[in-house]
Amino acid sequence: MARVFQLPVTTGRTAIAAPAVVGSTDRPRPGIAAGYLAPHPPHLIYAENPPQNEPRSTGGWEVLRWAYAELRRRLTRLRPDVLVVHAPHWITMVGHHVNCVPNPRGVSVEPIFPHLFRYHYNMTTDVELAETIADCAAEAGLVTSKLREPGVRVDYATIGALHLANPSWDIPVVSLSANNNPYFYAEAALDEMEVLGAATRRAIETTGRRAVLLASNSLSHLHWDVEADLPEDMSREHPFSHHQYQWDIRLLDLVRTGPTRAVADFVPQHIAQTASETKAGSLTWLLAALDWPAIPGDVLGYGTIIGTGNAVVEWVPEEFSDV
Amino acid sequence: MSEATVVGGALVPGMPHLLAASPAPSWKRLAEAVLEVGSRLRAANPDAVLLLSTQWFTVLGHQVQLDPNPRGQRTDENWYAYDFGHLDYDLRTDTALAEAWAAEIDTVGMQARRTHYEHFPIDTGTVVASRLLDPDRTLPMAQVSCNLYADADALFRVGAAGVAAARRLGRRIAVVGVSGLSSGLTPRWISPKEDEISDPAHEQWNSRLLGLLAAGDLAAALDLREAYSRAAAADSQLRVLPWLVGAEGAVGPGEVLASGPIWGTGAAVVHWPA
Repeated sequence: MARVFQLPVTTGRTAIAAPAVVGSTDRPRPGIAAGYLAPHPPHLIYAENPPQNEPRSTGGWEVLRWAYAELRRRLTRLRPDVLVVHAPHWITMVGHHVNCVPNPRGVSVEPIFPHLFRYHYNMTTDVELAETIADCAAEAGLVTSKLREPGVRVDYATIGALHLANPSWDIPVVSLSANNNPYFYAEAALDEMEVLGAATRRAIETTGRRAVLLASNSLSHLHWDVEADLPEDMSREHPFSHHQYQWDIRLLDLVRTGPTRAVADFVPQHIAQTASETKAGSLTWLLAALDWPAIPGDVLGYGTIIGTGNAVVEWVPEEFSDV
Repeated sequence: MSEATVVGGALVPGMPHLLAASPAPSWKRLAEAVLEVGSRLRAANPDAVLLLSTQWFTVLGHQVQLDPNPRGQRTDENWYAYDFGHLDYDLRTDTALAEAWAAEIDTVGMQARRTHYEHFPIDTGTVVASRLLDPDRTLPMAQVSCNLYADADALFRVGAAGVAAARRLGRRIAVVGVSGLSSGLTPRWISPKEDEISDPAHEQWNSRLLGLLAAGDLAAALDLREAYSRAAAADSQLRVLPWLVGAEGAVGPGEVLASGPIWGTGAAVVHWPA
């Protein structure tokens, strides 16, 4: 990847209210208050039947949805200024892109699951933080781009994680792309994701935001290639293979014991064994942004969706553990 | 009747650079070649185009487009900063052929998924190819997705199902596969004049493949496919080729009208006359 430039962090281009002064009595301290592994299969939103999504369901995948309910309860307590999401289905072949459009809105019809996901989105971007992340990533040597074109359809992995974490959409967001190539099953360069994670952390610190991060990844990723007539028929839902299940549980055992470095070191093996969606780099980005805390993660739930493994996991840095 | 069903076939690239206002020499050559292939195919008087684009990739079953008039604007999620990243489209679907194709796919034991949704995002490859092959939109299309997990044999059968559907309806069809060759994209922002195949080894593999296609040795090309895919990171493992063969769009020697780089990847325009 080419090494590029850096713009100094500037002020005066916020599209939303700037955060309060650090140290004020009524405002939580800035930093990354928590990070979540936040899987995005559209089945979860479909099962929730929110008004933004056109298709209707009879439910399904409840255990994972209950895990998200717990995430939402904790998120309320964390009181973040912004949610930052890295998602594998905004695929950018050249570089790491940051959505800097102030108010992305439209209809996202998912080309793979159009029968499940036709979502009317209306997001508020924390433009200052978005631009600062792009600047910090460029300064760190990554190829980057700031998306300013409002016509780009927001993908379901971005919407999925953000909706399930905060269906009221009342917290500004920043959306990062996955630098990848869809046409030959490419894997993200995980070392670059570490750089992007560190750049994200630096941008959050620079702007004084209190952020919660979402890594929009499933785990094991081999799945059925046909679908039941009723997509939410849970009698058809189970791990694609015992092998995939075992490797997911090995990863989650490491998550539950920590430290996060051990998890990251295990990720390449897990990808090789399960075609894990973490190959898109979101989990590595998240742990790097958290600066590799030596803490366990809290697995809020695990379940399969069309055979893929999915877990909702929370990491809260020690300095925020009293929240 | 069956001999006249397929009036010709083509392999064309789907990268939007072919529509650039200030193209690299390679992009210009490739675009002109696609225009030429379009003229040839239209001159053979098909009723419709049977099309697969690797940029419409899916994972569940084989999706068949049934919207009679997909239209809209596509802002490409990677190339939005360039003129060629903004694409208007207004396509016509031969819905009877598409329905019949879906039925044939079901009949041979695979799962067809009928797709007809407002705001459904048509992929960049389909838009680019259709605009160059048929600038005046004289031909309706029948489109199928490229399932990421379908093996070469499955895509052969999807192609064959398309021809069977056309025969059943008495349609004359042109068969078009939209795919690149090697996928080694140049991972940085470049000016058009800098464009070259990102890896010399990829270029050699592309040439080897195109040599087989030009010689009409499709069996050898199919045998080479897996090794080529590993060595040159071929676009969707070059599964467009078994689809083209199954759909009888690639028969005998193909004429390679152009080949060259698009942002480091390999691309070629190949025409097979009936």
